[in-house]
Amino acid sequence: MTSDAPLGVFEEQVMLGVIRTGDEAYGMNVRRELERVTGREVSIGAVYATLDRLEAKGLVTSRRAPGGARRTFAVMRPGMVMLAETRAIRERLWRGIDLARLPVLA
Amino acid sequence: MTRTASRRSAAALPLSLLRAMLPVAERAEVLEDLVAEHAERAAANGLRQADRWLWRQVVRSLPALIKRSWWRGWSGFEPRANRMQPGGPPMEGWIMDLRFAVRRLRTRPTYALIAILTLALGVGGTSAVYSIIRRPLWEPLPYERADEVVQFWNSRDWSEAEFVMLRPDMPAFRTVAAHRPEDIILERDDAPARLLPGISTSAELFEVLGAGPMLGRGFQAGDDLAGAEPVAVISHGLWQELGGDASLIGQRLRLDGAERTVIGVMPRGFWFPDPAVRLWVAEELNPENRSGNYTLVGGLAPGQRLEAMAPALNRITTALGEQFDYPEGWDKTRNAALTPLREALVGSLRPALLATLAVMALILIIASANVTALMLGQVDGRTTELAVRSALGADRMRLVRQVVVEALLLGTLAGLVGALLATLGFRVMVGAIPLGAWAEQASIDWPLLATAMGVATVAAVAIALVAAVSVWKGDLRGALVRARTSGIGGRGGRLESGLVIAQVAVAMLIAAGAALLFRSVDNLYAVDPGVDVQGVAVVDVAIGATTPPPERRRIITEIIRQLGEIPGVSSAAVTQKLPLRGSGDNWGISVVGRPDLPSSTTSFRIVSWDYFSTMGIGVREGRVFDQGDRLDGELVVVVNQALADKYFPGESSLDRQLETGFGSPERIIGIVDNAAEAALTDEPAPARYMLFAQLPYVAEAQTFVMRTARPADAETVLESAQSVIRGHSGIAVQEATTMRRVFDRAMGPVRQVLSMFAILSAVALVLGAVGVYGVISHFVSRRKRDWGIRIALGLAPARVMRAVVGRGVWLMSVGIVVGLLATVAVARLFGSFLYGVGAADPISLATASLALLVVGVAAAAIPAWRAGRTDPLLVLRDS
Repeated sequence: MTSDAPLGVFEEQVMLGVIRTGDEAYGMNVRRELERVTGREVSIGAVYATLDRLEAKGLVTSRRAPGGARRTFAVMRPGMVMLAETRAIRERLWRGIDLARLPVLA
Repeated sequence: MTRTASRRSAAALPLSLLRAMLPVAERAEVLEDLVAEHAERAAANGLRQADRWLWRQVVRSLPALIKRSWWRGWSGFEPRANRMQPGGPPMEGWIMDLRFAVRRLRTRPTYALIAILTLALGVGGTSAVYSIIRRPLWEPLPYERADEVVQFWNSRDWSEAEFVMLRPDMPAFRTVAAHRPEDIILERDDAPARLLPGISTSAELFEVLGAGPMLGRGFQAGDDLAGAEPVAVISHGLWQELGGDASLIGQRLRLDGAERTVIGVMPRGFWFPDPAVRLWVAEELNPENRSGNYTLVGGLAPGQRLEAMAPALNRITTALGEQFDYPEGWDKTRNAALTPLREALVGSLRPALLATLAVMALILIIASANVTALMLGQVDGRTTELAVRSALGADRMRLVRQVVVEALLLGTLAGLVGALLATLGFRVMVGAIPLGAWAEQASIDWPLLATAMGVATVAAVAIALVAAVSVWKGDLRGALVRARTSGIGGRGGRLESGLVIAQVAVAMLIAAGAALLFRSVDNLYAVDPGVDVQGVAVVDVAIGATTPPPERRRIITEIIRQLGEIPGVSSAAVTQKLPLRGSGDNWGISVVGRPDLPSSTTSFRIVSWDYFSTMGIGVREGRVFDQGDRLDGELVVVVNQALADKYFPGESSLDRQLETGFGSPERIIGIVDNAAEAALTDEPAPARYMLFAQLPYVAEAQTFVMRTARPADAETVLESAQSVIRGHSGIAVQEATTMRRVFDRAMGPVRQVLSMFAILSAVALVLGAVGVYGVISHFVSRRKRDWGIRIALGLAPARVMRAVVGRGVWLMSVGIVVGLLATVAVARLFGSFLYGVGAADPISLATASLALLVVGVAAAAIPAWRAGRTDPLLVLRDS
């Protein structure tokens, strides 16, 4: 099941977290990675709920190694496409914007 | 406690909270990871920091996890990694069942609609009635000391002299107050004079109740003494009507033609003695005045109990006996008793209100039985489906859970629809319930919704239990075998039949109640009140207290003349008290030349010339008043037959003389028929009538009556009559009605209870019919194969129809018999509403039985007709 709806900010972050943690992409590790990079505290419940939703959309998949207890995640091809699109949209939006030149409103 | 133990306990609670919200398959890994990180953080930053972090994690995770549980249950999502490791999030099964139930209801709209509406009717009705009667019956009275306040015996019968004598020495009472109803005319600027329901009281009233004003002050000692400034305390409602400004305190209002200073405003929600009262005035008490219609209320002294008041009452009655001389029948020293305030204020309402609530609850029971039967029919129709599921491994608990979830879903929807129905029908219900002055206090509020949801939940749980037991006991595998071999039957439907019998029995109870009440009302209408109630218009007025008697007499005479000139009016008259409005205005009587007669009182009415012809009271002997009877002439009196019989047995009472205390005796000039001067069903009681134009006393409250040439005009002349009265100053219209309505009201709550019962028994009949229809339809569809084969073998369709209708008649008959037994068993509860009819009245019971039977046959006839048209070919091909 895939969805055409664009990724939410947290969904995008969680998917990037999954990619960054590679083979060790289990819930708690993804959470730690997000906290490390963003500098903000992230709740484990939000990470798991988002991963479930992404899996239901067919963007990530989960598996368990034989005998291994942990559920680990990997981004699927549609997920990669969606991430690329999300990034492209963002970059298009940023094009031509120079924050330093904008008048600062109090 | 050691440090390690406290460390463990600090983390235990958040971890178990999280554990409860995690899917079984993922619990261990998530909790292990969290514990490990907690330990790392404890080592690095200290235990306190680590605990805080853990709490933050759990608190922030819970909303996301709860949402995930719901979503997983609703969508059925199962992560790929968990396929070999079963165990979803908590409640997943329930949520999936809920989704299944929603789908089932959506695909069976007729069933869903009937079930929800049926239940909503019962739920809405019960919660509306409960919400309406909750305030008067169960909500705390709006007085701080309500539990310590009692009302004295002989209410509305205490004189100022008695109260003033008793007041300084009331043993075992904290304080005692005297109050009486007094409608007060309010005149403001150019607005027409308004009559406000008020209370005239001694200064202690608010102190007795333990109630204080929201603004200003209450009464204080001395406010009721001669020479004190006239003061008034107003209700929150009146304060708002007058602008709701705090500056009203200290202002003067023109009340009953005199200025009174507003000293206080009572808080919103305060009422005494009923919610219609708008203001309280402290009245000067005259120790010489031995007549009066005061009620005494007292606050018990600290530590005093109601049961231990006998010695105190003895002292009071002794003091009364020493000071006053009481006629037989009015002796206050004999029947001393104290009534708790709530009982005194709303006690008379209670039977009718509780009866209404009980009937509504019965309707709810019928509705629940109906929905249960419908659900069982559905379950039965799904036997094969359930059996297949069971064969595929669904355990029995799972099947039961499905039924329970469906019942709870129906209950919730019925609760919401019921609350909506209760809101829409609220005003109608308020009008139909005999609430008296409490009607204006009834309002739609949030607790109504809560009540509806609560009632619906209770009903749903009851339905779920019965249905679940049925499924639990059902022979599912056997059903599968029979389905495969196309056997006849399935479940026997015994429980369904039982439910229908129960609801028919309850419907019978209500219908019998309605029939009994109908007969009572019919009997009451047959009572001859001694006045002709058709074609009489009635206008109650109040004249300002400051208007002197000669001026009052002049205004009344002028109004009578003007009323008589209204087109359509054939005669007009006045009385200070109309028949059929309860007892009161009993004055002492003595017969000249008979000092041996014990002192006594009779109804005393002060009327105008054409009173008897206007009211249709027949003259038996002598004459009634005419224009020759004047203020300066001989005092004359007209008596009724009961008075003549009692005081002058075996002799003519004409020209005999009575003494009332007007300075000279009154000569009896005529005897008229007995009219129901007090209550409709009273035995004829002595009454005497004097001409208002001859007496120095003219009461503040008067009632004008007009006979119209055509009975239908009694309503139409009221408008002109009111404008005639409004044309005079110092007089205000209190109520404009007709004698017919006065008569209706004289029947008491029985009429309102009847109309309520009539509506509810119609509802019960409809619900009963739906129940019979549902069960018989189901019976027919279960036997369809059977009928098909028989018709194919030559059985006449008429016999099939007869068999089906017979089944309906059988169910109804058993239900009716059970209902009859129940009616006889609970009939004494109806007792207080019945008049001239026994609780086991055969005509009422037979009528109700017949009505139910007819409805039952009609309800069974539709499925019977369908059964008779069964096409054997179609049926056999289907199976």
